[in-house]
Amino acid sequence: MIDPLSASTRLASAGLEAQSLRLRIAAENVANAQSVGDGPGADPYARKTVTFRAAMDRAAGGTSVALQKIGTDDAPFRIERDPGNPAADAEGNVKMPNVNVLMEMADIREANRSFEANVQVIKQARAMVASVIDLLRT
Amino acid sequence: MIEALTSLAAFDRAAGITRTEAAAPLARASFPVMPAASTGGTDFGDVMAQLATGLRTSLRTGEATAISGIQGKATTQQVVEAVMDAEQSLQTAIAVRDKVVAAYLELSRMPI
Repeated sequence: MIDPLSASTRLASAGLEAQSLRLRIAAENVANAQSVGDGPGADPYARKTVTFRAAMDRAAGGTSVALQKIGTDDAPFRIERDPGNPAADAEGNVKMPNVNVLMEMADIREANRSFEANVQVIKQARAMVASVIDLLRT
Repeated sequence: MIEALTSLAAFDRAAGITRTEAAAPLARASFPVMPAASTGGTDFGDVMAQLATGLRTSLRTGEATAISGIQGKATTQQVVEAVMDAEQSLQTAIAVRDKVVAAYLELSRMPI
């Protein structure tokens, strides 16, 4: 039988990893918000999406979080007219990535909040363990 | 600090010796009730040895993870978790040690 307090620390640390990954994907999207394709009329960078699933963690004896899939957003690409661009097609149109920076910022903020919540779980579990150990001292 | 950790093995061995060579014959020779009590389940020496082993393992893991964190092989999160784990084991060990010393002092104050 595993200690429920250390189990919650483990589960929260899986949550921290998940939120870090989410931040990484958002960072990739923001960084590539202007990346065009590598030839005339080629598809540009497609926005990446990340989804998670509940996963049984036998070592922790609880339901943990794991990566489900890093997929791509199949929303249509923005078309911009820029005949001087190397990626422009015959009509002078360039396909731009389907990344909305404002949406990515909202996603980053949400990842940050979730991360803080998981850190709070770890803090709380530690405080509870410490108070149990303190019983020996009195 | 790694060298200091190896000396923790002495604590382990001490626990083993106390249990097998010193305490057991004494208990059997002078206190006939003691062996009957200790046959069911784990005795105190076992628990102490387990505690010492756990402490040594988690301190060693914390140290190793901190080093690989400096080398860039482990994430900050892993380093913090390992060090926190080691700290928690150390706190437990210190609390238990304080309790044992207090009990010993209590015995030494016994009027003869």
